[in-house]
Amino acid sequence: MGKIMVLTGNYTATEAAALCRPDLIAAYPITPQSSVVEGLAAKVHNGELDANMVQVESEHSAMSVVQGAAAGGGRVFTATSAQGLALMYEPYFRMSTLRMPMVMALATREMTSPETVWSGQQDAISVRDAGWIQVFCDSNQEIMDMIIQGYKLAEHPEVLIPVNVCYDGFYSSHLTEGVDVPEQKEVDEFLPAPSFSHCVLDPEKPFALDPLTPGPLLMKYRKNHLDAMEKALEVIEEIDREFGEKFGRSYGGAVSSYRAEDAEVVLVTIGGMTGTGMDAVDMAREKGIKAGLIKLRFIRPFPAKRIAKLLEGKKAFAVVDRSVCFGWSQGPMHMEVKAALADVDEKYAHFSAIGGLGGADISLRNLLETIELLEAVKDAPGEKATKWFMNE
Amino acid sequence: MSYIDVLREAKDLVTPGMSACQGCGGELILRTVLKVAGENTIIGIPPGCMAGAGVVGWNYANGLQIPVHIPLLDNTASFLTGLSQMYQRKGRPDVNIIALAGDGATADCGFQSLSAAAERNEKMLYICYDNEGYMNTGYQRSSTTTKGSRTSTTPIGSVINGKQQQQKYLPLIISMHNVEYCATASPSHMADFVAKVQKGLAASKKGFAYLHVFSPCPTGWVYPPEQAIAMARKAVQSNLFPLWEMDGEGYHLNYENKNPMPMTEFVKGIGKFKNLTEEDIASIQTAAEQRYRLLERICG
Amino acid sequence: MTERNHITPIGDEGIYVLDTASWRVFRPVMDKEKCIECGMCLAYCPVNAVRGTEEKKYYITYDYCKGCGICAEECPKKAIDMVPEGGRE
Repeated sequence: MGKIMVLTGNYTATEAAALCRPDLIAAYPITPQSSVVEGLAAKVHNGELDANMVQVESEHSAMSVVQGAAAGGGRVFTATSAQGLALMYEPYFRMSTLRMPMVMALATREMTSPETVWSGQQDAISVRDAGWIQVFCDSNQEIMDMIIQGYKLAEHPEVLIPVNVCYDGFYSSHLTEGVDVPEQKEVDEFLPAPSFSHCVLDPEKPFALDPLTPGPLLMKYRKNHLDAMEKALEVIEEIDREFGEKFGRSYGGAVSSYRAEDAEVVLVTIGGMTGTGMDAVDMAREKGIKAGLIKLRFIRPFPAKRIAKLLEGKKAFAVVDRSVCFGWSQGPMHMEVKAALADVDEKYAHFSAIGGLGGADISLRNLLETIELLEAVKDAPGEKATKWFMNE
Repeated sequence: MSYIDVLREAKDLVTPGMSACQGCGGELILRTVLKVAGENTIIGIPPGCMAGAGVVGWNYANGLQIPVHIPLLDNTASFLTGLSQMYQRKGRPDVNIIALAGDGATADCGFQSLSAAAERNEKMLYICYDNEGYMNTGYQRSSTTTKGSRTSTTPIGSVINGKQQQQKYLPLIISMHNVEYCATASPSHMADFVAKVQKGLAASKKGFAYLHVFSPCPTGWVYPPEQAIAMARKAVQSNLFPLWEMDGEGYHLNYENKNPMPMTEFVKGIGKFKNLTEEDIASIQTAAEQRYRLLERICG
Repeated sequence: MTERNHITPIGDEGIYVLDTASWRVFRPVMDKEKCIECGMCLAYCPVNAVRGTEEKKYYITYDYCKGCGICAEECPKKAIDMVPEGGRE
């Protein structure tokens, strides 16, 4: 049995990363992530954590230093947000395409401009095609559990893909919740020390890491990466079950749902808005609307088949995005959910909802109104206008 | 053991046939460094001539007989930081961790990560082979290109003639990072170069060691390949590229040169300097003199 | 070639070698009579084509020599001649 601690999302990430016994941590401060690495630095400096802590000069170097340590066989950790993620894009893409396992916490934040430091998921969403596994959390407990599960997933011999554990900046990163923090012994049993060697540089077994690779060969690496992403969809479910058996908490794997079984209209959420969404569903149900909710957890790999199954027979859905897709006048997760469904415009009334950009609120009223709008259009299949949560 | 004995008896760890140009300074530097370092070494070679010449291999084949990685152009020192720290952590501090990077990956694009690794005194030997530009992509100008040089991004035009700015003098900047060891070297002064690689490797077990090596480039600079060593020698003799080192005991000039060869002699026969005016040459001369005087004062 | 898994790109199938001898237009030829065994040719050869025995006898190998001419230029005794390939030796 672990102990209950009252923690912010960031300090939850600190505790979780420490429990995973990282060999090396490299990070650079950025709002709203900074306290993750401050917490880890404190643990290292107080002798509570035996890890190498590298205070780098940028996020570009943070990802590069952990990449070097992974090339030395180490378990590594870093964390960032928004501009930091953008700056590290070059080694970020390379980390996944070198197939180096690691976990990075991402306290998601809106991308500048206009100048902002507040919440939004544009940072993580914009790099969803950079080869990483990405999971979004909506509670601090989920942050704790997904960082621990993240290493298990990343290091799985049939996966070998780095994992982003994303949670909403400020809403999750800075607000406190009670978190069940497992004991070190329990985590050690669940997560053995890393044993990968496929990318490890060693004079005793010399090879060139990443020689110049012509296109026909490169394509084999890409296909293998995509196959491993597919495999990850299975492994995610296995790890969720195994974690559930050991720690008593299960998240439904790649995607979860709430009151969706008999629902006619469905709200699809991602990240911290989910709790509000569940309240909105409850309120709609009291009004006699058969509402339900689907929470997107893993968006890479995208659990298209499970989402299609969950939406089977429903009349209407709206996907709420905390980011935008430039050029499509809608949210990126709405596009992806649509792509998972056959004959979407014939079978469903559906629309994209966009809110919560740059720290703006996604209120209970916004989500309840969205459900009411779904109820009003549910018998008229086709795509409706994008709904913007323009709260004053 | 004399340096000739070291070089004669050491194993060549580089592929015997690599696609560096005839008379390439970089190839000579790479082979020499690895002869001195030996097999218990991991090297990072970012994009540039040496990576492009195939030492990180092609099609599943290696280019070196030791572990090698091609880091990003701008993250060599950071990548090796993580690797070095893991080797300290694994109880294998004897493994040599070496970077071999061109001047672009060192002084320009990679400067930020280099400066940070130097400031943290990370345990590695970082070697810059300075051929004064981005030679692998057709000689574009870098911050270490000599003023007046004709490059593909500072061409000889009807209005502007070659590079307009003096060189950035990187080795002195790195030495100000409280590093363990910092030196300049030239393949023309081979005994000094070999000794500095040995010292640099020893220092890299305690902290950050930096070696800035002059790397003549027949193709980019346009001169006959057999003149490569002569060009490097003239760069030292003219004080364009003074030889000095900073170790635990302070700064030392390794080649005192009160009566340098005039800069007109250095630029002679190098195609990239063909269009220099007398004023241009005088300006390079002045910059070299000022740099040498500064070093004399620092070295006491 | 062994079966590859195509996970992380690594080169472990031996050494990538180019036939650089074919580039050679001039071939360095050493006059052993003039050689004083200083080893400068070995020290400055960029391709490691000059070798030496334990007795410090230096000799030139031609499998990879690119014919750059540095050895001839740097020899203090001018004991190395650059001779056109395919011509007289």
